[in-house]
Amino acid sequence: MTLALTIGVLVAGGTYLVLQRSMVRIIFGMALLSHAANLLLLAAGVSAWRAEPLADRTSAVDAADPLPQAFVLTAIVITLAITVLMLTLAVIGHNDDTRRMPETGETHDR
Amino acid sequence: MTGRLLPLLVAVPLLAAAVAVVVRSVPVQRVLAIGGPALTGSAGVLLVVEHRAEAVIANELGGYLPGVAIPFVSDTLTAVMLAVTGLTSSVCVWFLVRTGEDRYRFVPALTLMLTAGVNGALLTADLFNLFVFVEVMLLPSYALIAVTGTWRRLGIGRLFVVVNLLTSTVLLIGVGLVYGVAGTVNLGSLAGAAADDPWLGIAGGLVLTALAVKAGVAPAHGWLPRSYPATSAGIMGLFSAVHSKVAVYAIYRVYTVLYDGQAPWLPVLVALVALTAVVGAWSSLGESTVRRVLAFQMTTGVGHILLGLALFTQVGVAAGIFYLVHHVVTMAGLVLTSGAVEQTYGSGRLDRVHGLMRREPWVALLLGAGLFSLVGLPPSSGFFGKVGLVQAAAGSGGWSGTVLVVTVLLAAVATLLAAQRLWVMLCWGAPMTVHRPDSPATGRGQRTRLPDDVRIPWSLTLPGAVLLAASLSLFVLAGPAFAVADQAAASLLDVAAYARAVLR
Repeated sequence: MTLALTIGVLVAGGTYLVLQRSMVRIIFGMALLSHAANLLLLAAGVSAWRAEPLADRTSAVDAADPLPQAFVLTAIVITLAITVLMLTLAVIGHNDDTRRMPETGETHDR
Repeated sequence: MTGRLLPLLVAVPLLAAAVAVVVRSVPVQRVLAIGGPALTGSAGVLLVVEHRAEAVIANELGGYLPGVAIPFVSDTLTAVMLAVTGLTSSVCVWFLVRTGEDRYRFVPALTLMLTAGVNGALLTADLFNLFVFVEVMLLPSYALIAVTGTWRRLGIGRLFVVVNLLTSTVLLIGVGLVYGVAGTVNLGSLAGAAADDPWLGIAGGLVLTALAVKAGVAPAHGWLPRSYPATSAGIMGLFSAVHSKVAVYAIYRVYTVLYDGQAPWLPVLVALVALTAVVGAWSSLGESTVRRVLAFQMTTGVGHILLGLALFTQVGVAAGIFYLVHHVVTMAGLVLTSGAVEQTYGSGRLDRVHGLMRREPWVALLLGAGLFSLVGLPPSSGFFGKVGLVQAAAGSGGWSGTVLVVTVLLAAVATLLAAQRLWVMLCWGAPMTVHRPDSPATGRGQRTRLPDDVRIPWSLTLPGAVLLAASLSLFVLAGPAFAVADQAAASLLDVAAYARAVLR
């Protein structure tokens, strides 16, 4: 239940931030959303608290499902890479203010 | 035996990308960047032939137990997609070489990584791996927009990155839910599972929703026609050949495997398909640059391709697959040809370029041939694509068949109007004596005198011409092409055989 509520709060906050115009806020929003996705992946595999899935320490009966943990690890790496890329875009792009549309390459002259 | 070679289709482009980063010699980089996708595309052609004998070829990576291992699977549909995306990207990279864009830093390596991601996403039979390979495909694309772009292009890069990252997160959440419900994300184990488990249906629906946004299905199509035309023509051709088409392929595969039959929410699918095809076609009527018209035509193309899935008969799926091949080849050909015009005359705006028929009769002819194909007039591959779809829809009976036939016709009328407008504005009118090339800094153009001897060089026209010739050959060789599409449809719909091969 706690996990579900946490995921809900993260998704709500992430959605709010992604809908802002400033790139930095969008990046924070994406970070919250990916945290929510990671928690959800964990929740998909671990229904209750179980022991670490190491072959020589715990028996297979007590061990947690290792697959979602591998999923989360992969997802974290990908999110990290893309967050860095987006932060770069936020820095080298235009002024990151909230009053101006980002340039799209479209013009209105004839 | 052939199965063991499947991971090479991902490994070889990745390795070539690494070589292209380290070796800074121009000829080596060019050979790798053009040869890499051409090689995997040719491997796709070989696989199509191979699949006549063996319908599904699977490989459990690393030799782990089936169901635990990461499976790489190829059937006729995968092989066709490998061939078409590989060969088309190779021609697009050739165009990039001709415009000199491959000299931007890392571009050869990035295009090779893109190829690796595409091949992986096509071959994988594991939902989580699909997410990973889609990311492998998208990361070089973000970089390609940023590296080859002007400062202004970065603005559109933001839109592309944010939309794709958001949908990737939704895709990941969907995969997590599938794992939570079914305890597996292996497509072999999931075969037909959603048909009797509504919870899995909801989880799979989330996966399909994310893939639909990535494919540019209306009403979430707006990001595609806004972002693609803002990149350069070569990059847009490359993206149009791979991105949305990989998402469409994944929709075909995931939908078929999960439900192993028609989904209970068929009306939603039919409505989305009809909306995408019609909205894309009518929107292309109001655009002001060549490539923006073409971008909306991509949206309508996605609608037409998914129409085969909405019908879900052998004939319908075969027609959808044929349309997919036609659409990839024709669209990339048109984008590259318009890119050649843009490169020479400095602008792709319909009101700044005119009278091409006098200056460039061959280019005008090529554009006309490509537009014929989009509308679906003979002699062009689009003719048989649309005939196939209409025949399949009419033959399926029921209300959905009627809706889909009307959809194709409405979209064709709008496409005809848009294509006429595009061709007339570009190719008719007084010959150009002054032109206003778009300034890379502001987009506004200064009037400059155009010397009489300026012509589009042959080497720039050739890549687009090759693709449009391939499109024409799909018209001439429609019989054999439809036989392959039919085989691909049969292998897609035979979910049991697919699952058996994955779990063998």
